[in-house]
Amino acid sequence: MSTLIIGLSLGMLLFLLASGLTLIFGMLGVINFAHGALYMLGAYLAFDIGQRTGSFVLAVLLATVLTAVVGLAMERFALRPIYKRPHFYQLILTFGFILVLTEAIKLIWGLGYKEAPIPELLAGTVDVGGSTIPVYRLFVIAVGLVVGAGLFLLLERSTFGMLVRAASSDDEMVRMLGLPATTIRTAVFALGSGLAGLAGAIAAPLFPIELGMATTIIIDCFIVVILGGLGNIRGAVAASILIGLVRALGYTLAPSWVDVLTFGLLIATLLTRPQGLFSRPVRAA
Amino acid sequence: MLTWTRTLAATAATAWLSAAPGGALAAEPDVFKIGGVVSLSGPYGVFGDDMRKGVELAIEQRGGKVLGKPIQVVWEDDETKPQPAVQKTTRLISDGAQMIFGAVSSASTIAVMNITKQRKIPHLVTMSADDKITLPGASRYTFRTSNTLGMEQRMALAYAREKGLKRVYGVTADYQATRDSWEWFRKEAEKAGIEIVGADFPPLGNRDFSSIVDKVARSPADGVALFMTGSDVITMVKQAGQVKLTTERTIFGPVVADETMAAGVGPAAIGVQSGVRYHFSVANPVNLAFVEAFRKKFNEFPSSAAGEAYDGMAWWLDTVEATGSWDKEKWVTAFETSVRENSLEGRKAMRACDHQAMQDGLWGVVTKGVPPQPAYVMQIEKVYPPTAVFEDCAG
Repeated sequence: MSTLIIGLSLGMLLFLLASGLTLIFGMLGVINFAHGALYMLGAYLAFDIGQRTGSFVLAVLLATVLTAVVGLAMERFALRPIYKRPHFYQLILTFGFILVLTEAIKLIWGLGYKEAPIPELLAGTVDVGGSTIPVYRLFVIAVGLVVGAGLFLLLERSTFGMLVRAASSDDEMVRMLGLPATTIRTAVFALGSGLAGLAGAIAAPLFPIELGMATTIIIDCFIVVILGGLGNIRGAVAASILIGLVRALGYTLAPSWVDVLTFGLLIATLLTRPQGLFSRPVRAA
Repeated sequence: MLTWTRTLAATAATAWLSAAPGGALAAEPDVFKIGGVVSLSGPYGVFGDDMRKGVELAIEQRGGKVLGKPIQVVWEDDETKPQPAVQKTTRLISDGAQMIFGAVSSASTIAVMNITKQRKIPHLVTMSADDKITLPGASRYTFRTSNTLGMEQRMALAYAREKGLKRVYGVTADYQATRDSWEWFRKEAEKAGIEIVGADFPPLGNRDFSSIVDKVARSPADGVALFMTGSDVITMVKQAGQVKLTTERTIFGPVVADETMAAGVGPAAIGVQSGVRYHFSVANPVNLAFVEAFRKKFNEFPSSAAGEAYDGMAWWLDTVEATGSWDKEKWVTAFETSVRENSLEGRKAMRACDHQAMQDGLWGVVTKGVPPQPAYVMQIEKVYPPTAVFEDCAG
């Protein structure tokens, strides 16, 4: 039981991060290498705001919004001018953003480890099947589920979602109809970045806040996006839970084999279902 | 004709002298150039920055000169990876570095060591603890003035015995140096009557320890031995603290806590027991003066990495100065038998057989700091003499 809860919490944290990445890729066709750096920025911002205000809620909210604003600026001033160019321009640009954001974080907060405490209300533990589980893990699962449901409603059931889907499948047509396709792209990038910031803020009390935190999790995040199917939000939820459970089970049974298990799953998927485990088959015309 | 002959003879003589071993009679360079290869990014980035501060202060305190020439340090970031460490060391030596300082991770240091050995360039290590760095005959040019993992694991074992731990669960980062260290500890602990009730080897740079924490919590262990460092140990102790494991079991390890790591863990770090490399609280006049100067310059207390870097570099530069020579071979020979009576941690004596500095071993516990100290500080609980923490040199 404890393995299930730990796996779900790991999976939901991965989903928070991967959802932004897959959203940006699915809707804009941009592979944002700087997504991990935005996650790290979210964690540092949450740490800083938490220290200044003493409020966890404010820290999470402001870190999310501020990271979204950084993402918005990245899209508006750097990505937008190069959308028409080959994809590798975007890859190099977003890779450059990793360096810029990392150096900025280093300048502002230094190289030392930072610690964000778990808020009092969520600092307790519960006994589940003979194991002690931190309440904060349950909170992470809840946040993941809420965000997943919210994203589903936003993208599948709202006018904004309809516009986003329309812009992603035929950008020119949306423009011809007089709709603000450019603004939609910016909003999607800001939303994806905000999700990275939210993931960082939620992860901050669980992990050391440090300059390497982006690289440790972003690999799993890309695995989730590939397993879930590029740009597939529902697939990202399922793949995150799968990876979380595989990791939790691996840590319980054979910790030194966890990476082998995770990457083995990735390789098997690429060989058998390169479109992702959870993508619907595309019908040929 | 005679003039040409003289010119050729003079040129040949100059060339021969320049090529003489150690370049003994080579022209004195304008600067004493140090190549610093440290981690300024990656998992050990925080240590590299502190080492840089320690070295800067050591140089500043001697007026920025050695052998009458200004000291120039060129810093390179190895990103906590051996490959960049190799590339950057090679470039620094090509650019005329008279010595190499670093690296942070043992894997990088061993990679650097192979180059300095081949190029006959003195190499000073003040952080990496892998015992292989100072095996007898490993390299004539590499010296370590800081702790070895061996001495830290001996302190960990001594602590487990003195504390009377009966059952220990080991969690070890899955790489060679820590696995070797755990294996040694496991054998010796079992000989001492301590039961090993579990052992896990999560990958280096592990993302989450909650499943392992759960296994430890369900085990009958009264002690948890951690053979890991950096962000791994921070994540482990932090997540152990979230289920109150840090207050119910004794958490200890060869090098699992200092002020830097405790800052990342927070309150859960209190009570964690660990070997300590250098500490600002060591009460001797040299250390007190160093701490004061460091705080004045950097407005913070020196970390283990900063203290060890300062100590090693100051010792090395004093030795070079004493030779009065630009011959690198003479520096190496002099350092091999050098003794530092006034090191920050007391007496240190370089052992010629393996180039390891014999020194006291410090063992401490994380406690709450008192302003202006950092929020969490190590309190030294025990000092082990060199005879208790070093084995005889096999060479």
